Amino acid sequence: MTPCASACAAALTRLPGMGPARLLAMIRDRDPRDVWDDVVHGRISKKVFAQPNLLGDSPACSDRSWASAASRFDPEAWWSKARSRGVDVSWIGRDGYPAVLADDPHPPGVIFWRGSLASLDRPRVAIVGTRSASPDGRAVAYEMGRDLASAGVCVVSGLALGIDGSAHRGALSALGEAARDPASVAATIGVAASGVDVPYPRRHAALWEEVAASGAVISETPPGYAAQAWRFPARNRIIAGLSQLVVVVESHEAGGSLITAEAAIERGIEVRVVPGPVGSSACAGSNQLLYDGAGPVRGPRDVLDALGMLMPDPPKPGQAKGRRRSRRSPDGTRISLGPTEQAVLASVGWVPSSLNKVAERSALPVAQVAGALDGLSARGLVADDRGWWTRLR
Amino acid sequence: MLATVASATLVGVEGRPIEVEVHVSRGLPSFTIVGLPDASCRESRDRVRAAILSSGLAWPQHRVTVNLAPSSLRKGGAGLDLPIAVALLAADGQLPLDALPGLGCLGELGLDGSIRRVSGVLPLVDAINAARVVVPGSCAGEASLVRPGKVVAVPTLSTLAAVLKGEEGWPETPFFLPVDDTGAGPDMADVRGQPIGRLAAEVAAAGGHHLLLVGPPGAGKTMLAERLPGLLPELTTEEALEVTRVHSAAGLPLPRGVLVRRPPFRAPHHSSSLVSLIGGGTTMMRPGELSCAHNGVLFLDELGEFPSDVLDTLRQPLEEGKVLVCRARASVVFPARVLLVAAMNPCPCGGGGAPGACRCSDAALARYAARVSAPLLDRFDLRVSVDRPDVGELMGDGSSSPAPPESSQAIARRVRAARDLAVRRGFALNSAIPARELDVAAPLQPKARTMLETRLRQGRLSARGLHRVRRVARTLADLSGHGGDIREEHVTTALALRGPVFEPEGVTL
Repeated sequence: MTPCASACAAALTRLPGMGPARLLAMIRDRDPRDVWDDVVHGRISKKVFAQPNLLGDSPACSDRSWASAASRFDPEAWWSKARSRGVDVSWIGRDGYPAVLADDPHPPGVIFWRGSLASLDRPRVAIVGTRSASPDGRAVAYEMGRDLASAGVCVVSGLALGIDGSAHRGALSALGEAARDPASVAATIGVAASGVDVPYPRRHAALWEEVAASGAVISETPPGYAAQAWRFPARNRIIAGLSQLVVVVESHEAGGSLITAEAAIERGIEVRVVPGPVGSSACAGSNQLLYDGAGPVRGPRDVLDALGMLMPDPPKPGQAKGRRRSRRSPDGTRISLGPTEQAVLASVGWVPSSLNKVAERSALPVAQVAGALDGLSARGLVADDRGWWTRLR
Repeated sequence: MLATVASATLVGVEGRPIEVEVHVSRGLPSFTIVGLPDASCRESRDRVRAAILSSGLAWPQHRVTVNLAPSSLRKGGAGLDLPIAVALLAADGQLPLDALPGLGCLGELGLDGSIRRVSGVLPLVDAINAARVVVPGSCAGEASLVRPGKVVAVPTLSTLAAVLKGEEGWPETPFFLPVDDTGAGPDMADVRGQPIGRLAAEVAAAGGHHLLLVGPPGAGKTMLAERLPGLLPELTTEEALEVTRVHSAAGLPLPRGVLVRRPPFRAPHHSSSLVSLIGGGTTMMRPGELSCAHNGVLFLDELGEFPSDVLDTLRQPLEEGKVLVCRARASVVFPARVLLVAAMNPCPCGGGGAPGACRCSDAALARYAARVSAPLLDRFDLRVSVDRPDVGELMGDGSSSPAPPESSQAIARRVRAARDLAVRRGFALNSAIPARELDVAAPLQPKARTMLETRLRQGRLSARGLHRVRRVARTLADLSGHGGDIREEHVTTALALRGPVFEPEGVTL
C-alpha cells in the first residue's frame, strides 16, 4: 500500500544525497506518491542524478541506493510522528505551498513549517545580518523588527544569533505591545537551516517556540535533522525569495548575509543597507554593499517608505529627523551633560571600545571615566556588552 | 676504624641533618654505600675515588662501608661527596680523627679534587649540627647568610686535607655582607597609554589582588606583568630569607648580593607539567615554580593554553599561601604566597574580542572560555581588558600624550603607603580581609552602598563578587590616601576593574 501524499513528499527529502535541485526535478508537476513509488522500485531517471547542484558537488547516489534506503523505511510512521509535533508540509504545485516561492528560480521542492504562514500575505521584509553583532546593530535590528511588525510588515529572518535574533525579538515585542489591536501587527517568520523541530543555535530554542507560536518557522530540511553546512546558504535563498525587500543591518566581509543579498539581487528583489561606522569590521560587508550601490536605510521609516507604506507624518517643529542621534532620553526629556560626561561620551565612539581605550582617549582619571560611563549608560546614551562600550545616541 | 662527619640533605626546601659514617676494615677491597642513597648519591663512589687519588692521597685497599644516618631518610644529590671523602680519609688514618668532631662538610667533588657548588646550600648549612662548616668556595655568601662566621670556604680536597692535618691554617673566608643590588628592573615609564592596565597593576601590587589581563596579541600584557614586581615593596629580611631558601633549594641562580631582596618574578611556559608548577618529584622534592615565585609574582601567560588540571591545582595554594606535596616517602610543605598575574587572549582568533570584530564561532568561544574554570576565574579580583595602543601613542607624537608616563618608582611609593594603611588596619594585604571583617575594615558611604545594592538587585554582581569588589575598593581608597569610609568613586572603579570577561553573550535586545 502506498502511503499518503504528504508522507511521501516528506520522506523524499530524507533520502541520502537528496538536495534542493534533485528534489525539485523529481517532484515538480508530479504526485509525490508516484515519485515515491518510482524510488522504491528504482525507476528514477538519470536526469535527476545529473542535476547540477545549487551549491557545488552533489554526494554520489543512485536509484539503487535510494531504493534500498526507501525499502527499509516507513514514511507513514515517520511522518505521523512529525505531524504530532506540529510539523506541516507542502510541495510545489500543491495548496498551502507559499505562492511567493512558486515563482522562485530555485524554489524548495518540499517545504516544512510549524505555525501559520498567514502573515506571508502581508508585505514582507527580510532583516539579516551578522551573528557577532555590535550592541548598536542589535538595537537597530530590534527597533526595526518591532516598528515594521507594528506597521503590519511580516519580518523574515534566519533565527540565528545576533541581528537575526534581535529582529525576531523586536517583531515579537510588537505583538506583545499591541494588546488592543493584535490584527494590525504582522507575525514574524523564521527560516531555519535545520529541521523545524531542531532549534539551532540551542540558545534560541525559546525564541523558536515563540516565533512558531505567533508566526512560523520554515525549513526545507526534513524534521528531526540537524543542519549541515551547505544548508545555511541554501536557507538564505529562501529568506530572499520570501521577501519583497532585504535589509542588511551589519555584515562582516564575506558574511552569510551577503549571500542573502546576492540571492535577492539575482531575483530582482531590492536590497537596502543600514550604514555602519567605517572602522567597524562588523559593518565591512554591509558598507561594501552600500558602496556597490545598494540604497541606505536609516530606520524603519525608510523601509516603510521603500515599500510605499509610509503615511506622511507632520514633522514636529525643532525635532531632528534622525531619532537615534538626538540627545534625548527615551522619555523625551532633554539630557544635560557635565563636562566630564561630555568628554567621556565623545571618547566612547560608535564602534565598541574597551574601557581602556575610553580612558586613554579622554585622558581622564579612571575613577571619573568609570563613574561617567555608569551615568551615561543609566541614561541610555551608551551601552556595554561584556566590557565593550558603544555610543547609542 | 670508624669516622663520622656531619652533613645534611635536602627535603623540599628544608635541610635534614645527616651523619656520614665510614668504616674501614680488613677484608677484600670493596666500597658500599648504605642508607637509602639515590642514584646521584651512589655515583659518589667514583667521584670520591678519583678526587682522593688526584689530591695525592691514597685509596684504601680495604673493605669500606659508608652509612648515611638516619637510614630511613632518602638522600639525594652530590653534596655528600665531600663528607664521605673526609670521613673515609680519617677512617683510613690519613687524617687525624680528632679533627672531625664539630666539623660539618658539604660539597660535590670534581675528579681533580676540587670542591664544587651544590644547590640548596642555604637550608643545608642551616641544618648541619657542627661548629664549623666547610662549604664550596662559590657558596660562601649563601652559607654565611644563616651561619655568619661559622663557615669556611675551601677550594679543594687537598687544601682541606692539609688544614685538617694541621699543616696549614684555615683559609681566610671573607666576611660576607649582603650588598644591596636592587638593580633597576623594567620600568612602568616604558608603558605608553594603557590607563586601565597601569591602574590594575598598581591596585594588584597595593592590595595583593590577583590580576587577569585579557587582550589581543601585542597589547602589552607581558610588558605590564613584567613590571609588576617593580611596584612591590622590597622584601623584609625574613621574607628575603624565605625566598632565598626556596631559590637555593631549587638551584636557581641567586643575585649578586645572594639574598633575594626583590620580589621574584616567575613566568613558567604553558607546557609546564603539574609537578614543575606545584613542586614534588620522585626522589628529591623540588619546589615548583609556584614556590619559586613566593613573595613575588607568578605570571601565567596564555592562561587558556595551560592544561586545566594544572590550573585547578593552583586554586588551593592560592588561598592558603602554601602547598603540601605528599609522596609515598615524604611529604613537604612549600611556601606559595604569590601574586598571580595571568594573561590570555579574548578569543581563539585573537581578533580583539570586541563585539563585531571577532569571527570566532559561538561554540569556539564557549570552548575557549571553558578552558579556565569558573572557580579559578573567581580568584581574580581584577579582570581587565587591555588593547593595542593607537599608532599615535606608540610613536609618541607629542600632541596626544604630553605628560610622560609615570615611573615605577612613583607608583611604588603610593603602593607602599597603601600597604602601610592596610597593615595599620591589621591585615597584611587588603585581598586577605575576611568577609566578616569587611564592614569594619571597609565601611561604605551611603552612596557607595546604594550603588552596590543596585548592582546586586540587577543580578550584575554575585555575593562573592561583592566581597571582592569591596576589597578592591578598599585598596583603591588606600591608594588615594583615603583610609576612611569607601566612596562611590572607589566602588565604581572597582566594578570597572572587574570586567565581565568571558561571560556568555547575554540575551539582550
